[in-house]
Amino acid sequence: MSPKPLQFNRRVGFGLRPDETSSPNPLEWAQNQMENTPDLIWPGRIYSEAEMLDIRRDFTISEAEIDETIKDPEESRRLRKKLYNRSGRHHQAIYGDQPVFERFWHFWGNHFAIVDKLKLPVFNTGAMQREQIRPLMTGRFADMVYDITLSWPMIRSLDNFLSRGPKSDFNVRRKKKNKPIKALNENHARELLELHTVSPACGYTQDDVINAAYIMTGWGYTNGEKGWEGKKIGFEGSLHEPGTHKVLNQKYKASGWDKKTKGRKQLRALVEDLCNHESCRKFIAWKLCRHFICDDPTSEMISLVTDAWKKSDGMLPEIHKAVLEAAWRFGDNERKFLSPETWLLQVARMTGANWPGDPSVFEYDFNSDPSHKQTKPVAVLAELGHLPFRAKQPNGFPDTEAEWLSQEYLVRRISLINNPSQIGLPNNKASGLEIAKTVIEKNIDDPKDKLAILDTLEKEGSLSNRSYPLIATLCSERILKV
Amino acid sequence: MIISRRVFLSGSASLIVTSALSANAVAAGSEKTNLVIVMLRGGMDGLAAVPFVGDNVLSNARPDIGIDNPSSITGDFALHPRLENFKSLWGKGKASIFHATSIPYTGRSHFEGQYLMESGGVTPYLDKTGWLGRALEGGGKKSLSISLPMPLILRGGSDLDNFMPSRNRLPNDDILDLLANDYSQDDMLSNTLATIRKRPISMMNMRKGLGDQDVWGLAKIAAKQLADPGGPSIAVFDIGGFDTHSRQGGDHGEHAEQLKQFDNVIGALYENLGNAFSNTIIVSLTEFGRTVEQNGGSGTEHGYGTAILMAGGLLPESRIIGDWPGLKKKDLFEGRDLNATIDARAVYASITARVLGTEHKKVVKDAFFGADLPDMTKRIFG
Repeated sequence: MSPKPLQFNRRVGFGLRPDETSSPNPLEWAQNQMENTPDLIWPGRIYSEAEMLDIRRDFTISEAEIDETIKDPEESRRLRKKLYNRSGRHHQAIYGDQPVFERFWHFWGNHFAIVDKLKLPVFNTGAMQREQIRPLMTGRFADMVYDITLSWPMIRSLDNFLSRGPKSDFNVRRKKKNKPIKALNENHARELLELHTVSPACGYTQDDVINAAYIMTGWGYTNGEKGWEGKKIGFEGSLHEPGTHKVLNQKYKASGWDKKTKGRKQLRALVEDLCNHESCRKFIAWKLCRHFICDDPTSEMISLVTDAWKKSDGMLPEIHKAVLEAAWRFGDNERKFLSPETWLLQVARMTGANWPGDPSVFEYDFNSDPSHKQTKPVAVLAELGHLPFRAKQPNGFPDTEAEWLSQEYLVRRISLINNPSQIGLPNNKASGLEIAKTVIEKNIDDPKDKLAILDTLEKEGSLSNRSYPLIATLCSERILKV
Repeated sequence: MIISRRVFLSGSASLIVTSALSANAVAAGSEKTNLVIVMLRGGMDGLAAVPFVGDNVLSNARPDIGIDNPSSITGDFALHPRLENFKSLWGKGKASIFHATSIPYTGRSHFEGQYLMESGGVTPYLDKTGWLGRALEGGGKKSLSISLPMPLILRGGSDLDNFMPSRNRLPNDDILDLLANDYSQDDMLSNTLATIRKRPISMMNMRKGLGDQDVWGLAKIAAKQLADPGGPSIAVFDIGGFDTHSRQGGDHGEHAEQLKQFDNVIGALYENLGNAFSNTIIVSLTEFGRTVEQNGGSGTEHGYGTAILMAGGLLPESRIIGDWPGLKKKDLFEGRDLNATIDARAVYASITARVLGTEHKKVVKDAFFGADLPDMTKRIFG
């Protein structure tokens, strides 16, 4: 039995709510959460991915109309809608009963980060994470990679819908008409190799990237009209680069006779091989251990995960369980600095704060500007510097203390707790003290010295500032770092 | 001490106090030289920023994303039309370009490339500190990064701070004392908190309203700090969005907008540094350039060689520097990218040496692991 079960809980979950008790067998408790995908418990309306694509389409048309008719930039700015999307992500983490599953969900959402551009965070990223990533977490890693590679926001953000084989029928026709060819776009293929599967450590070359891009040609919108985004992703044989393509010394032949589908199966085969590559196992295992255990995972942590991967043919529940076992077995003496969002969610869960707030407040129809209350969670996350749907680059958010601990980031966490009503915590000193005590008693394995600090605060009467006990607790080293 | 009207009107009492302190330091005769590094993430297209117009190879390779109205600077090279402030400084003899250069990295991965442009090494993810941080270590100069994270490039240095305006306020000192005590066993946390507590009040009061898109406003804040003789000598900016695989645009469009952001940093610093501009140099840094040819999607792919743009009073005159390799297929790196004829680290070493008042050799040793980097001091500053 690990001597630090509460530390383990916060390392892989979000800590204990005031009304929760620790499981007698924390590892089993965590591992049991990996087998099934919990339902979304957000009681308000959640739009489906298909609905969001429809709304996106309507929005794009109305913005285009504004562009066309209103020439005064001020007026056009005024008419443009401000938008927001609620995903239920925080509610799920704080009130759900499979918090460890939710942590892994956040991990995969960031692994397959969608860049903050083209209003993707508003319309598409959350829906993709809910409807695609979540259910895939109980299956094989390779299936997850394949489906997410062909998800709408990934194809959109990494430009694969623009990529065409230089010798595809499409370009052969253009050449005949003396039009310049519209050729390859390497963006998505490179990130499939670098970020989603094998990583540069496997030593692929520029030729490998180009050949992977050839394999990916043809995958894009199937029902787009001229000038508009299509709403479905599929394979279009006339855009595909014909022939056999070689990636990492493996040859991928184009099978089939039907021109429309010839070459379609190459991507599936490529993804299978990439996910079965030793570099992929090592890279993903390292990334998972870094997220859940420490910034520099040891080889024994990593090999526990890669062994489970090999044994299970890449089944994610087994991979996840191995990560949890590594965290349990090797994690006691490690320290992990939490990302701003994970810290905020732990704060909310451990304090019982009313966060993100009453679900009825967040009902939103995409037809009006959101209210101040509706945008508050986004404002708080922005202040902390961690809007999980707004990654600046496709590698998502970083995951180490060096990246997350800076003067400015720390100022913002302290300032936030200095004004605790912002995150739905009561703003009076007596309950501040009580909440702080509960957080420590429930969530810190050896709470004596921490409780002593609160006692001193209470005795010295220096509680003149009502946020002091909360700052002393929620911004303490033991809570910032797990 | 003349307080500019703008500062006087918008400043709070504490701002004026800081200004008065600065006046004393000026009287003491300190001559601080400043280095501003502007990181351009995503791969800045040196051929869009400073296109070669000596022949039509480039315009043929980029039928949809050519620069239609380049601002002429020499017979062979031109400037992107959105680099207006840079152009105006070029006219004043205060802007230069080092072309056909890159960090020594040809792997075309953003994330490896960005790591190396900051670490200054040749193996991605290996070195945990940054080249600028190592160059500054122990030198007594203060640095300020205008970003939420502390960027790798500065890590390893002493006296580092970072900053972005925000609306929230810090609690009183007594609770910070308590936290300082709590952090005492953890070096990273306690150093971070200690720097926060040493910040001038002026910095904690300039915390309203700006988003990270308002680079002009951010640069204005940085200028104020850099102009203060007791303030930082090093500032780092971080601008993303240069990875234009689709719809890169020409005179206008995505890449042009990002170049404009960079140009805004230069413009705001020039306008707000006052006399300190004459002791300042502003330099761009990116992970790689972009392919000569446009791709499917009217964008460009990850490439190799690019340009370094420099502006500031430390430059003796406006120059285009470098050894131009040409844009014919046989001259390109792997047949597709502008070649780099000089390791960009040589340029950064010489510039850093000038600002630190030390030798190129010493910066190469401290910051760049003693790599074989030729001294560019004369070509830039001579």
